[in-house]
Amino acid sequence: MAMSRLRRREALWFYVFVSPWVIGFLAFLLGPMVSSIYFSMTDWDSFTPPKWVGLDNYTKLLTEDPVFWKALGNTLFYSAVSVPLGLLVGLWLANLLNKQVRARKLFRTLIYLPTLVPLVAASLAFRVVLAPSGPLNDVLGWVGIKGPQWLLDPSWVKYALILLSLWGAGSATVLLLAAMKGIPRELYEAAEIDGAGPVRQFWSITVPQLTPVIFFNLVMGLIGAFQVFSQVYILMPKASQPGTYNASQTMVPYLFDQAFSYYHMGYASAISWLLFAVILVFTLLAFRTTRRWVFYETEVK
Amino acid sequence: MTLDRAQFSRRGFLGLGVAAGVITLTACGSGSGSSDGPLVMTVWGGETDRATYQKRIDLLVKKYPELKVKLQLIPSESYAQKVQTMIAGGNGPDIMQVAENVNVYSSKNQLRPLDDLAKSAGLDLTQRFGTIGSLYSYEDKLYAIPDRSGAMIVYYNKTLFEKKGIKAPTADWTWDDTLDAFKELTEKGKTWGYGGAGWWPQWWSMAYQNGGAIIDADGKPTADSDEVVEALQWVGDLIFKHGVVPTKAQYADMGTDVGGDQAFAAGTVAVNATGFWAIAGQAESKFEWDIAPMWRGKKQAVASFGSGLAISRTAKNPDNAFKAIDFLTSPSAQSQIIAAAEDVPANLEVQKSEAFLKPAWMKSDVNMGVFAESSEFLFKAPFIPEWNEMLAAIDTATADFWLGKERSAKKALTALQKNLESIIKSAG
Repeated sequence: MAMSRLRRREALWFYVFVSPWVIGFLAFLLGPMVSSIYFSMTDWDSFTPPKWVGLDNYTKLLTEDPVFWKALGNTLFYSAVSVPLGLLVGLWLANLLNKQVRARKLFRTLIYLPTLVPLVAASLAFRVVLAPSGPLNDVLGWVGIKGPQWLLDPSWVKYALILLSLWGAGSATVLLLAAMKGIPRELYEAAEIDGAGPVRQFWSITVPQLTPVIFFNLVMGLIGAFQVFSQVYILMPKASQPGTYNASQTMVPYLFDQAFSYYHMGYASAISWLLFAVILVFTLLAFRTTRRWVFYETEVK
Repeated sequence: MTLDRAQFSRRGFLGLGVAAGVITLTACGSGSGSSDGPLVMTVWGGETDRATYQKRIDLLVKKYPELKVKLQLIPSESYAQKVQTMIAGGNGPDIMQVAENVNVYSSKNQLRPLDDLAKSAGLDLTQRFGTIGSLYSYEDKLYAIPDRSGAMIVYYNKTLFEKKGIKAPTADWTWDDTLDAFKELTEKGKTWGYGGAGWWPQWWSMAYQNGGAIIDADGKPTADSDEVVEALQWVGDLIFKHGVVPTKAQYADMGTDVGGDQAFAAGTVAVNATGFWAIAGQAESKFEWDIAPMWRGKKQAVASFGSGLAISRTAKNPDNAFKAIDFLTSPSAQSQIIAAAEDVPANLEVQKSEAFLKPAWMKSDVNMGVFAESSEFLFKAPFIPEWNEMLAAIDTATADFWLGKERSAKKALTALQKNLESIIKSAG
């Protein structure tokens, strides 16, 4: 009897704590989500009543719209480079910070600091850094490299965006570092006795133990990268640099333009659902591969 | 809501939920006004604009105490989205400021045609505004009353001109005269003759001077006509062949967001074609400067900047709204626009008045008569319903041209023509 009362109370508290999210989800998200499925099958300018067009928006997007494919290509490229690169840099920084060096705490703070700078501010700063004769190209000039026109040359803007994405590597670093600290000392001691060097220890102990955190960062990074928006909008302002803005067009800015500049709400809804599908596929793919490389301690029999 | 859909991380969900809640609550709070509630008027801009519109509204209320107007100033970047949301939410403004995108709204049945209201009020648009009186007419219907309107004008650095012994520019300068002056004024890597014509009003002016048009009178795109190609090629050659205009890279090195306006103020470019707004920034200038009307090609033509006032379809009391607009564009209210150095008033009487020609705040001797002079040869830009997409198509097609990667104007404009033909449905 006492047991079930406790359980009931616990269930009650569960609903109390989860209710803000559930209410928010039902009231503000489920409705818009469902209606956007409907709008994606209409021709709707947001002013006059929507006209049903069936799957026309999707067919037009997939077969006739070159900008959509370009935006999708740019987004895939950006995600494919920035996510792994961010993870590698995060892993490398975390490993450095895990060493017993002096002023370790200071370095840790410094590396996390950029993550605390608002993205908008960082993007604005990068516009100065990446100017044709800006600091970055000056440094490149010292070693004899003629820096590209990062933000002007349409073929280089993607790399400028990727460079900016590394600015946020600090958050992955902190998570990875925390996980590293949690790896039991005994594993390393045992490995040392068996004669494993630092490199071997890193690949055979540290990395496998970190895989759950790496996986988490991978999924979050993928979702974030596919939805990249602010950086594109600020780094390549449409008003003053329309050319580069177009070259670096990614999915969400394109969706935004369709919805709020051209008043093609239905079309924009269709883009958002295609983007959803793309993200879903890649996230599922990532989950599919987990059994092969993600190591959970609880699974060890 | 579509954008919300795309951001579906869990934190995003919560944030959006909160934001959506706030929006919903405020929307409910403002409620829908009855027909004798205040008229809601939306405008864009900054603090000067707010103060100037408010002053004009105060004058209106003084004259018609029964009218109440609530001014809503929205930052320019988010104006279109905000108004769109207001209208979609059933709470559209009564009076709204519109500009080149006027027919984005009118084609979607969001603006009330004003012909009848103007007729019964006895408002003669040509008499009050000259040629631009019909600027916001589309397919024989009037959708907005001009409110602010000034020609694009030529700013020139008098100090540099005198140093090089060049006479002040006039409306009779041909393209050749202009190029010669630019060459004289350019000192490699230090100063440039001209700020450039990469912005649509600037290079379109050249196209119209050459007898071309981006969209012809029937609404068909004619971007690849010989006249337009020749004009764009001339403009591009100023940068890459003659070197009298800074390249994008050279501009980027001058600082973040430096363009012709800022470079002229810094004395880096000797001539710049832009709107009235640069005058305020020039007031404290270290060098002597003045303004002149645009030079000419085969004929005279120049772009105009401005905005009008429209009445939305949902306005509860259109008669009152029109009464307000009628007064706001009358001389007594319009003279506030120049008194605050906000813009050029569209009302011709005010443009020719002493208050405009010799504003109290003007420290140097500037030839303000240039605006009235230019008003005779303004070209009427095609304010098509697909305006925003057209500008995006132009940006895309000319991107490589402005970077110097594609030197042929013909190629850029052929690509543009193809895009425009697919965008503009009315062409068919």
